[in-house]
Amino acid sequence: MLSLILKKSSHRSSLVSPNPCTSTNLIALLFSFLLVDKDSSRRPNSPTSCQKHSILASALSSFLLNTIRNQSGPHLCLSKSRYNSYLNWRGKVLVSGFGVLKRQFGGCHSALLPRFVLSCSSNQGLENLRRFCSFSAREAAKLSTSDGLTVDGIVASKWAIVDESESDWKSHAAAIAQSIQIVKKRLQWRKLIVRLGLLSSELNKPDLWDDPEHAGRISREHGSLMGKMKEVNAFEQELLEHIDMIKLAREEDDIDVESESLKALLQMRINIKEKELEALLSGEHDTCCCYIEVQAGAGGTESMDWAEMVTKMYKLWAERRGYTVTVVDQMPGEIAGIKRATIKVYGEYAYGYAKAEVGVHRLVRISPFDSGKRRHTSFAAVAVIPILGDGFTHVQINESDLRIERFRAGGAGGQHVNTTESAVRIVHVPTGVTATCQNERSQHLNKASAMEVLQSRLDQLEMARREQMNAQHTQSLTNISWGNQIRTYVLHPYRMVKDLRTNYEVYDPDSVLEGELDDFMLSYLSAYLDEDEKKISVSL
Amino acid sequence: MKLGLTRACFGCRPICYTTSLPSSTLNKPQIPIFLRPPAYSATSLDLRKWHEWAKGLAVSVGSSFADADNGPDTNLLCRELNWLLQDSLEDPKHDIRQSNESLMLRTSLDDLYHLWKQRIEQRRPFQYIVGCEHWRDLVLSVQEGVLIPRPETELIVDMAFDEISKNESLGQGLWADMGTGSGALAIGIGRTLGTRGRVIATDLSPVAVSVTTYNVSRYGLQDVIEVKQGSWFEPLKGFEGKFAGIVSNPPYIPSEHIPKLQAEVGRHEPTLALDGGVGGMDYLIHLCSGAATMLRGGGFFMFETNGEEQCKLIIDFMKNELAGRFCNLNAVPDFSDIQRFVTGVRR
Ligand SMILES: C[S@@+](CC[C@H](N)C(=O)[O-])C[C@H]1O[C@@H](n2cnc3c(N)ncnc32)[C@H](O)[C@@H]1O
Repeated sequence: MLSLILKKSSHRSSLVSPNPCTSTNLIALLFSFLLVDKDSSRRPNSPTSCQKHSILASALSSFLLNTIRNQSGPHLCLSKSRYNSYLNWRGKVLVSGFGVLKRQFGGCHSALLPRFVLSCSSNQGLENLRRFCSFSAREAAKLSTSDGLTVDGIVASKWAIVDESESDWKSHAAAIAQSIQIVKKRLQWRKLIVRLGLLSSELNKPDLWDDPEHAGRISREHGSLMGKMKEVNAFEQELLEHIDMIKLAREEDDIDVESESLKALLQMRINIKEKELEALLSGEHDTCCCYIEVQAGAGGTESMDWAEMVTKMYKLWAERRGYTVTVVDQMPGEIAGIKRATIKVYGEYAYGYAKAEVGVHRLVRISPFDSGKRRHTSFAAVAVIPILGDGFTHVQINESDLRIERFRAGGAGGQHVNTTESAVRIVHVPTGVTATCQNERSQHLNKASAMEVLQSRLDQLEMARREQMNAQHTQSLTNISWGNQIRTYVLHPYRMVKDLRTNYEVYDPDSVLEGELDDFMLSYLSAYLDEDEKKISVSL
Repeated sequence: MKLGLTRACFGCRPICYTTSLPSSTLNKPQIPIFLRPPAYSATSLDLRKWHEWAKGLAVSVGSSFADADNGPDTNLLCRELNWLLQDSLEDPKHDIRQSNESLMLRTSLDDLYHLWKQRIEQRRPFQYIVGCEHWRDLVLSVQEGVLIPRPETELIVDMAFDEISKNESLGQGLWADMGTGSGALAIGIGRTLGTRGRVIATDLSPVAVSVTTYNVSRYGLQDVIEVKQGSWFEPLKGFEGKFAGIVSNPPYIPSEHIPKLQAEVGRHEPTLALDGGVGGMDYLIHLCSGAATMLRGGGFFMFETNGEEQCKLIIDFMKNELAGRFCNLNAVPDFSDIQRFVTGVRR
């Protein structure tokens, strides 16, 4: 991860040489300089060599960098010759991390140290660095480049994000910053920081270990949250360092370094995109397969046709994603379209994505069924039910609570009757929840699929009961209010699809109806994280 | 098919045929459409035309069949039409609403017109048209001369499965399916038996024997299921007292009901498979007596019946005429809550 290696060159070593004499009235900087080499006897931070000089664990702030550059740095008690000799000896300098200087600046232990770390290039060095690193939550919030650019700042400046294939560092940086923000939201960053603060102060209590069980729990949670925070911070820091490096490299006309940093940024962009998806789809049931149910709104054939279009849109979306789709139940309209349909979407994260679609979808177009060629508005409601896998606890269903209805001609049955009608409807009597399946060609299979649907419905009902917070995802078709419109598809007089929750819009309805829904889903899911964040800030 | 067509064309119901047809034609079972090679090409436009035409026929039916004899209505016919299309397409998922491309079919377009006409005009059962019936998790080949297995009968396999899971020795024993038809019960049970379990499937009808043999091989159960031709227990001589289980869905419709049957059944399915004699109990009684001799102690039987009345009569018969031979006699309802099955255990 820490990959930025600065090739030693004479002009760069001069660049980072601090002027030991310059002093500053700014806060005292604490930093430790951790120097590591394979040959440990030459380690400057071995006990002997760090007697006199403070040993820099890792940090050299961006501020410091500035001061170095401006030759007006902070009170740095590091001799130029020593520093230069370090560079000469080390050959390489790696930039990263945080550090606290322990000696030398006695009394200032707790002062914050801005970012920028000189460290070493080996992984071992990185490990050591981590060990010496100790940062608190507040420090984490201060990461910035030498000229004060933060991740939030990058997002706010809205640099255009273009395709990965284009070597545009700003675009890479903006994409990475955006992803970092989403990951942070998912982690409930602010809450996490507050919690970490609480845990730290708890850990500092002298009597903590009087209750070993409690202490264990606290330190475990602290460790786990710390790990998460460090991971994100490392990403942030890496991004900012690359930006610094690119800017520096440009000033220095060092094309090698610039292109290396650019490459590193691109790799980061790819890596964090994955993290972002993980973050967006980290709900308890997100990995599950699901059912998508579509129901036509009022308005007869017009709406039934729309319901069929919506169903097809999800089928195409699922196929695009490589999911397997089967129709479980479908009730055709009298003239065209469908009254209702249930499709099963089989594949990882199907529910995580599809849950973003719950609500009412509205269509505006010139009706193909209206001889007067008037404009019509139609509605279709969508519900999504996760299919909980084996790892989850399911609602127990008692056979005796079920009423199983098979649609078939009355009369004597058995050998008297030949019918291909094999639909099965199962009613769970205590809750009134029902499931119908008629797509299979045998009753046996229809019953089995109807049971699966019923199980999922009951599981979802239970989920809805437990986690009121997520209620909007767990709404069943019967609960969705027709006022709860989430998206509008306009085919006439203009062409546009717009999500009413996120304002995300596209001007090519055909592509959307052909299943290009991922961006709608993702933009909703990240907006949904925003909501979560807001709720948290209110509750704090 | 020959059989069915002849019958359909002359508009008469089949009479009991056993050996009247040359066995060479009978012993070659028909291949269901969905298993035939995609050897015919057509354009999706032509297929759409056919589909429109066929839908029109289905729509014209309305509820007239349903009103007349509980036959299929438009909705059901439309669903069947889509299944026929699926079975005929090389790729069943192919959407023929797309442009005008050429695609491959498993039966010719002419045949599709012909088959759908038979479905509507002659009420030829859909399952004979596509050559298969989806039954439980099986797809069984069927053709004229063989009863199309009914959904009620699926329950016999469930019950056998329950018995076998309660008493594992049943699953390692010998079972019999008397009057196997398409082989539905024999195959359903054969798949739930343990490694040493075997089934003997018998039928008097040579068509049934050849269709069952074909279905058994489709499911790779040749080593588990033996198919024998003959009347009821006749082919089982020498196995007295050996059976762990006997199942049967014998013809049980009272002869007096045969003329009033739904057209798909009465006009097309073999009378041999339906007609249980006056009162419908001829074969059931025969089977009950046979079960007493063929089952081993602890052996289990399960017979399908015409309903509550037959169930009662059978239980009475067993309790009186076969007193002391059976225990746990029960009438078991089907999913429409009609007492459909009789079960019991040989003492
Ligand atoms: C109602 S069908 C049942 C077929 C199959 N077991 C099923 O459930 O789908 C009755 C079967 O009994 C056969 N059958 C009729 N008379 C028979 C006899 N005397 N001996 C053996 N089988 C006979 C018929 O050929 C027919 O296949």
